[in-house]
Amino acid sequence: MVNEQFKKTFFLTRFNIKRDWLKIIIWAVALIALFVGVAAKFTGLYGTQTAIDQIIKTLKTPAMISLFGKMPSGPYTTADVFASEMTVFMTIVAVIMNFSFIIHATRGEKETGTLEIIQSHSVGRLSNLSSALLENFLINLVIGLIYAIGLEFAGLTGTNTNGNFLLGLGLGLAGFMFSTIAAVIAQLTDNSRSATILSYIIFGIMYLARMVTDISHPQATWYIPLGWVEKFSTYKDNNWLPVILMFCLSFVMIFIAFTLNNHRDIGSGIIATRSGKSNASPFLRGPLSLFWRLNRVSLIVWLFGLMILGATYGSVFNTIGDILKTNPLLKQLLNTQAINAANILIIKEFLAILMIVFAILALVPGLMLINYLKTGEEKGYLELIHSKQIGRLKLFNSILALAIVAAATIFFAGILGLYVGGKAVMKHPIALSIFMRGYTGYLSPMLIMLGISVCLVGWLPKLVVLNYGYIVVTFFIQYFGKLLKLPDWSKKISPFGFINQVPVKNFDVSTFWWQIAIGIILIVIGYLGYRRRDLLIN
Amino acid sequence: MINEKVPILHIDHLQKRFGKFQALKNISFDIYPGEVFGFIGPNGAGKSTTIRTILGILRASGGQATIFGKDVFKNAVEIHKKIAYVPGDVYLWPNLTGGEIIDLLLKLSHDQHSVKTYQLIKEFQLDTTKKARTYSKGNRQKVALIAAFSSDADLYIFDEPTSGLDPLNEEIFQKEVLKLKAAGKAVLLSSHILSEVEKMCDRIGIIRDGKIVETGSLEQMRHLTRTLIKVQTRLPVPELSTLPGVHNLTVEKGNFLNLSVDSEQMETIMNYLVQKQIVSLQATPPTLEDLFMRYYDSTNGVSHDGK
Repeated sequence: MVNEQFKKTFFLTRFNIKRDWLKIIIWAVALIALFVGVAAKFTGLYGTQTAIDQIIKTLKTPAMISLFGKMPSGPYTTADVFASEMTVFMTIVAVIMNFSFIIHATRGEKETGTLEIIQSHSVGRLSNLSSALLENFLINLVIGLIYAIGLEFAGLTGTNTNGNFLLGLGLGLAGFMFSTIAAVIAQLTDNSRSATILSYIIFGIMYLARMVTDISHPQATWYIPLGWVEKFSTYKDNNWLPVILMFCLSFVMIFIAFTLNNHRDIGSGIIATRSGKSNASPFLRGPLSLFWRLNRVSLIVWLFGLMILGATYGSVFNTIGDILKTNPLLKQLLNTQAINAANILIIKEFLAILMIVFAILALVPGLMLINYLKTGEEKGYLELIHSKQIGRLKLFNSILALAIVAAATIFFAGILGLYVGGKAVMKHPIALSIFMRGYTGYLSPMLIMLGISVCLVGWLPKLVVLNYGYIVVTFFIQYFGKLLKLPDWSKKISPFGFINQVPVKNFDVSTFWWQIAIGIILIVIGYLGYRRRDLLIN
Repeated sequence: MINEKVPILHIDHLQKRFGKFQALKNISFDIYPGEVFGFIGPNGAGKSTTIRTILGILRASGGQATIFGKDVFKNAVEIHKKIAYVPGDVYLWPNLTGGEIIDLLLKLSHDQHSVKTYQLIKEFQLDTTKKARTYSKGNRQKVALIAAFSSDADLYIFDEPTSGLDPLNEEIFQKEVLKLKAAGKAVLLSSHILSEVEKMCDRIGIIRDGKIVETGSLEQMRHLTRTLIKVQTRLPVPELSTLPGVHNLTVEKGNFLNLSVDSEQMETIMNYLVQKQIVSLQATPPTLEDLFMRYYDSTNGVSHDGK
């Protein structure tokens, strides 16, 4: 009986891999290049003890802990610096990859109807799920192994084989653990959108919890599955206990997913789709209101998600902006006023990084909206609209307006969260105007990024995904630029690189305007392409 | 009523190329007010491509297509004011209900949810409170059909609209199309259900490999083809097989003959048979299906004597 349930699992796994091979290769190469590439560069960057000591001082500040995770206790080698900078970051990237694969394989297939065809053949009830999990397991295993081997070859000072394999395989397993979590969620919902939103909410909660516990009670991070990767304490203690915990949690999740899968029909979820209204509200009357209606749930989730993320970061400002914590000697050297000023500066510098992170996060829903001109077309959803008295310009403007407003509002929500969170905990809160300076400062590069997507949709609709890649590169350069001592020109390959550390420095009006101008030009060019091309048909 | 001599839709040597692939090679036909035009052809012949070009979704690579005398690509928005369209594959936004989508589509054409809409929903028996995600293919088609029938247009375009409907709903569809015709509207009906086309269409266009191979009324087309005759004669008919225009002659026991006859030779053959003293005679006009088969069979191409 049990075998029947899993019949053809291996066949389907091979089939999945064949179907996804390009996506797998792109993700794997990107991840491995990132990880191993950074490792290879590290000896050059942090080879000397002085360089190590200096960076460790930075990494031990609460601000850096909130971004990169808690450092184990010293003394430190190059390898320790590497492990503490990369562990949390690589886990986040792995989670995104795993969510995308598992939700596509478990929910996307159901939606396109392919699953029904497969299931009508002599295939076990659980085979689709088990093959999806197996596929993800293999992907993570291979990537993890290559990480480990890559570290062996990179030969950082202070590495050892045990630690290399712990970090490599541990990161792989962490990714797999999240795909098992998403697999459970995919059984609960009946469509890939809800599954994706719910999965990211759970991940977001874990991320915030991990950040707060890292700063205040590092021991409590043990309660958070996302925090387990930090507990490897790679190269220091080489603790394999978190790996065992991940295995256990993955097994529990797999068990739950199979049980749920066995108790529901194909295509349905445990949480059923509810009926709705039999008439449209007066508000639903054109493309703009339609696009809002279609995306409102995810936009609201983005809005509150970023606001909460902001508030959580804001709530650690008092710890971060306490220079005396990292350098008690300063108390004798500086007066209170000077110390306050120094504290504020630290927070502003931290803000400059956070704001880029928030701007880039807020861009994601904006880009998704713009890309709907392509994806919605491809799936046939827009064909009925195109046959109506709705010109391309109107459709284009509706989606563009919504995308710009959504990105700007969601970004604002994040900034507001930072401000409110900071205000709640700080004795001398930072003025709202400083936050607003940062906000306006990053609006212009955001417009350029949206403009690039518009251009792609208009001229090269098949390549719209490229812009996500560009955003990831931007993010990486801005986030790691200083730590990896990347050359200055690298910052200039993205429009964000021209915004010079606002809000530490002042907002530059001329930069703002020339970037807005480029953004508008890109949008116009994109429209010209969109106006004259064939609309995509499925 | 609109001037009946002026076509609503005019297509003249329309061509469409996707990269190297020439999807439409030569499409020409007109549709006049008060006329139902049947558009038939095998899968992949270019029916949907033609329709999407007419709608300005695709940009023609050559030739001309106008609706109400205006270019379908340049004046798409203006033209669409008076067009109702039901695509072959209806994709609806999964998280909206059927009722919401009907209303939205009506508003997009500046129409209202009217008594007519209400009646259509009732007739088609659509549960409008359900999310589109849960609809079957037939139900998704109903949503688009209800929106199309209750909007006020001059040209209605249906791309295989009944492929997911049950026979009862198919009948409702046919009834509604006939009402449109009576009201002087023009209808383009692309379909695979030949009995439907036969029943409803005034004129038919057959498309194959991106070319219109035949247009005309069913009567005119029948003229091009053969009538099936089953006949019993008292006297033997040895010369019959040698007469021009006789095909597929078979003899059953009891001197029953089955044959097909070219329309233009009908007179000669009948005169011959009458001489041989007809006992019984059954003549079946060629169905659209026979016509269709002849044009569809791409290995033989269009030929008048092959089978």
